[in-house]
Amino acid sequence: MRGTAVMAQLSETASTDSERELELYFGPQHLGMVGNFSITLKVRGDRVLKATANPGYLHRGFEKLMEQRTWIQNFPLVCRVNVIEPDSMEWVYARAVEKLTGIEVPERAHYIRSIFLELARVASHLFGLWAYSNMLGFDTPAQWAMYHRDLVLDLFEELTGGRVYHIYIWPGGVRRDFPKGFKERVVETLHSIGRCVPDYDSTFFNNRLFYERARGIGGISQQEAKALGATGQVLRATGMKFDIRKVEPYAAYDKVDWEVPTREDGDAYSRIWVVRDEMIESVHMIFKLLDAMPEGEVFNRGPNPFKWEIPRGETYVRCESSRGELGLYLVSDGGDKPYRVHFRTPSYPHGLTILEKALEGASIADVGNTMISLYVVAPEIDR
Amino acid sequence: MISSLQEDLESKFKDVEVRVLEQNRISVLVPGDSIPVILRYLKESGLNHLALISCVDWIEQEKLEVVYVLTSYMPNDTEHGPEQRLHVLLKTRIPREDAQVKSAIAVFENAEPYERELHELYGVNFEGHPRLIPLFLEREYEIPPFRKDFDMRKYVEDTFGSIPSVDG
Repeated sequence: MRGTAVMAQLSETASTDSERELELYFGPQHLGMVGNFSITLKVRGDRVLKATANPGYLHRGFEKLMEQRTWIQNFPLVCRVNVIEPDSMEWVYARAVEKLTGIEVPERAHYIRSIFLELARVASHLFGLWAYSNMLGFDTPAQWAMYHRDLVLDLFEELTGGRVYHIYIWPGGVRRDFPKGFKERVVETLHSIGRCVPDYDSTFFNNRLFYERARGIGGISQQEAKALGATGQVLRATGMKFDIRKVEPYAAYDKVDWEVPTREDGDAYSRIWVVRDEMIESVHMIFKLLDAMPEGEVFNRGPNPFKWEIPRGETYVRCESSRGELGLYLVSDGGDKPYRVHFRTPSYPHGLTILEKALEGASIADVGNTMISLYVVAPEIDR
Repeated sequence: MISSLQEDLESKFKDVEVRVLEQNRISVLVPGDSIPVILRYLKESGLNHLALISCVDWIEQEKLEVVYVLTSYMPNDTEHGPEQRLHVLLKTRIPREDAQVKSAIAVFENAEPYERELHELYGVNFEGHPRLIPLFLEREYEIPPFRKDFDMRKYVEDTFGSIPSVDG
């Protein structure tokens, strides 16, 4: 990692001269750390003996706050749980409300939701690619990825009015239909990003330096991954085809053909390749969905949202966010506010249990590499 | 699958209450001390993915409800039958004043941070957990902050409501 560890603090815990064990604080302010998160490392030489994850820097208590606000008021909070990809959060909350109340969603809205969620996945993966390649010192593809993400954000801005937080998916459908010419602009933007895939490949994915730097880093076996609750790329990089869009199809994911990309080795190299392949698969899926999209309504007008009282009940709803299984356990006591909200976020097991496991025996220089390749988003852990 | 699982659970274990919520979604209410045993049984019968451990404070009944959400990792590339899409909400109700549950780490390793979180936010004590230290918060609280009787507004007012004096 570039210019590592200037900000690390050292404190001695044992003192035999050559084999001293030291405690090293990695983050929350650190070049190799994404977001506000820190890891306490116990090291000997430059080997990590034990890693302890310290979340909490971004704990905003959203789940408690949501208990004090009405169902509709919660949308601006929900999307802020995951800063990088707020749209899956919106979907999962809207879906849970729909399930408890029995609100139906029009067919066209299902397609729009899928397209929207896939665009969000592409944007989120481009951001992830920026973080990863930047961390390894590949500044050029990192800047491209950031620029290309911005092009997708332009689409979001046109569709929803917001670049990052959209509050577009609502119980009963989506907030508005595609504006005139939007479909063509989606295709055009995705083509202009897609034309750069050979450039990304030659500068980054097929680059020997990436291979040397990522091969064998932060590896976990499929068995370990399952035992530790992994989902998403972390699990798919170990050869397991597990994708909630296939397992429990929602929105319009069962309406078109698409593949779940996997890799076999379970290391950082495999994970980043899965991200790349998934992004390309998403783009193809968007094209197919745009072609198959029916005409019609996009929103079922229900009762006044400011006066919603959701029937008593509980539900667990899940979807495949860009990082893995995103779930929501929602309990209603029949009132105008949720009784209990609990998000099951993919980064939670990836950033706590799996990270601690994957770092055992790693070199200090690979800590950031492991963490970012696990695709951890800190706000999602803390909530 | 649901009916056979229901029969099995009811015949093998005492005091088990199975309720069908909707298609392929069931909730199973069990006594607190049999949690690890039943979790292991469910894991062996195919529900090998512990997605979440949550807690609900039913303050009027003076109970805390600890909820384990169990689903399955699907086998590679097979057509998934409906029985594999089963979600089980395994629950136990414990008194608020003496909230004790046996830890599930021996069955599901990924239970570790969830149990730490619930210990911190709801004051549930998980027996046998190796490190029940705070996960997110840094202050001390008299009432665990996610319980319903924790007055958030009052806490904010008391803690951040005034500008501390420079001398103090």
